[in-house]
Amino acid sequence: MELTSDNTGGAVIVKAVGRVDGANARDFHEGLEARIGADGESMVLDFEGLTYISSAGLRVVLLVAKTLQQKDAKLAVCSLSGSIREVFEISGFDKIVPVYTDSGEAVSGLGL
Amino acid sequence: MNDIQPPYKILVVDDEPDLQPLVEQRMRRYVRAGQYRFVFAQNGVEALERLRADDEIVIVLSDINMPKMDGLALLDQIPKVNPNIRSVIISAYGDMKNIRTAMNRGAFDFVTKPVDFDDLKLTIDRTLQQLLEWRDALGARDRLVALQNELNVASQMQQSILPKRFPQDPSYDVFASMKPARSVGGDFFDVMRLEGGVLGLAVADVSDKGVPAALFMMSSRTLLKGAAIGLGTPGEVLEEVNNLLCEDNESAMFVTLVYAVFDPSTRKLTFANGGHNTPALFDDGGNPPPPPLPRGAAPGPWPGPEDGDGGNSTRLPLTGGVALGLVPGLKYEQSSITLSPGDNVVLYTDGVTEAMNEDEEEFGMARLEGLFSESSPSGARVVNDRIFDAVMEFAGDASQSDDITCMTLRAGGRDH
Repeated sequence: MELTSDNTGGAVIVKAVGRVDGANARDFHEGLEARIGADGESMVLDFEGLTYISSAGLRVVLLVAKTLQQKDAKLAVCSLSGSIREVFEISGFDKIVPVYTDSGEAVSGLGL
Repeated sequence: MNDIQPPYKILVVDDEPDLQPLVEQRMRRYVRAGQYRFVFAQNGVEALERLRADDEIVIVLSDINMPKMDGLALLDQIPKVNPNIRSVIISAYGDMKNIRTAMNRGAFDFVTKPVDFDDLKLTIDRTLQQLLEWRDALGARDRLVALQNELNVASQMQQSILPKRFPQDPSYDVFASMKPARSVGGDFFDVMRLEGGVLGLAVADVSDKGVPAALFMMSSRTLLKGAAIGLGTPGEVLEEVNNLLCEDNESAMFVTLVYAVFDPSTRKLTFANGGHNTPALFDDGGNPPPPPLPRGAAPGPWPGPEDGDGGNSTRLPLTGGVALGLVPGLKYEQSSITLSPGDNVVLYTDGVTEAMNEDEEEFGMARLEGLFSESSPSGARVVNDRIFDAVMEFAGDASQSDDITCMTLRAGGRDH
């Protein structure tokens, strides 16, 4: 799993590539926490390159959403591939975290 | 174990009075630079006293011939005081017999008299390097043991809450099992006989692994049992468990679960889903299960694969709930179907469908749904075992990364 990030347009866009499972969920968490910006700066997780996410990974998404909430910021995810989309839908996470088709839509959807 | 840091304390043991000033003089540079500190003893007995009084000493540099206790006897005693001390012996040039004895008694290295201090410095550094690596390895081992203990506790907790025996009833057959992954996860299942002969069935998967996940699993299972016995409908049971799990859940753990209630007298199965994989339904033949009816004119109970459209499996209707423990106050929809005798409902966790083979392909729903297209199983355990066998065969030598849990309810009991 690799993370790259880009701050343009008022939100941190983080691209995650590869697998997120129980073995690297902690790295995933630390990587995302380290990329949280200033108060009020929202984050978009671009999962286009993500091939797998386990429940431990979903939990990290939620923890990061909580951290952002405390900083008056929001979290959105975008570009979910078929299997990742399925995981979000089955677990009901798509009802907790806003899902967008791409990062541009996510940024405008977050009202930035 | 404490980390050791420079200056490294070295105990020099020799009865000859001229060695101490020589060491102090020739090693002054390194002592001033904070690399070493030297302390001295006159014989083995005195050396052991120093070692007992001072646990900072990491290397003993000892002569062999000394009064009271010689260097070879000292070598035998040092590990009893501290097994992590390294010893270097100073011997007469060419005294191979004593050098061999010293090495056999655990000396790490030796230098010869007259002492060449450049060589001594190299020897000390080499000994220190080995010692540091050794202590690192010991620390890593201790951490590993601690981690292993933690995982064992979690694993035992997980195993201890699983039902080992299942209700025996002529009107249904139920069986479930779990194959835990090496790193303990959080699957569990439960089979409860409720009031009025009704059966409560649950399969669940707790996010994350380790002791915190195991504790969350314990409370999920207890809350579920309590809510189920309160005779709520599956939707109400999930709502209540969700609300209770949401209290004080700072760590954002969650559990996905399917809870179903089966009434054997009507064969009606009512279920609700909290963010979990949708259960699969395998009917007793080659036809799609009801609804839709009719079942066609298939004469035998087990038509061959050519019969029908090749699909005897389907998924239970989606009820679309959110995983439990995340958002309080949610309502959970429920749905019902009436099973026919011989229908098998399979509740499972994503360890089944997401099991990977060595090419990193997933087992997937299609393989699961295709399992019973050619012959229909005669009992719940047969269904369960066939699913496990298929997953194991598919995974091959790939390591199992998640718990695999599967529960089968067969309406109408076993075939005889």
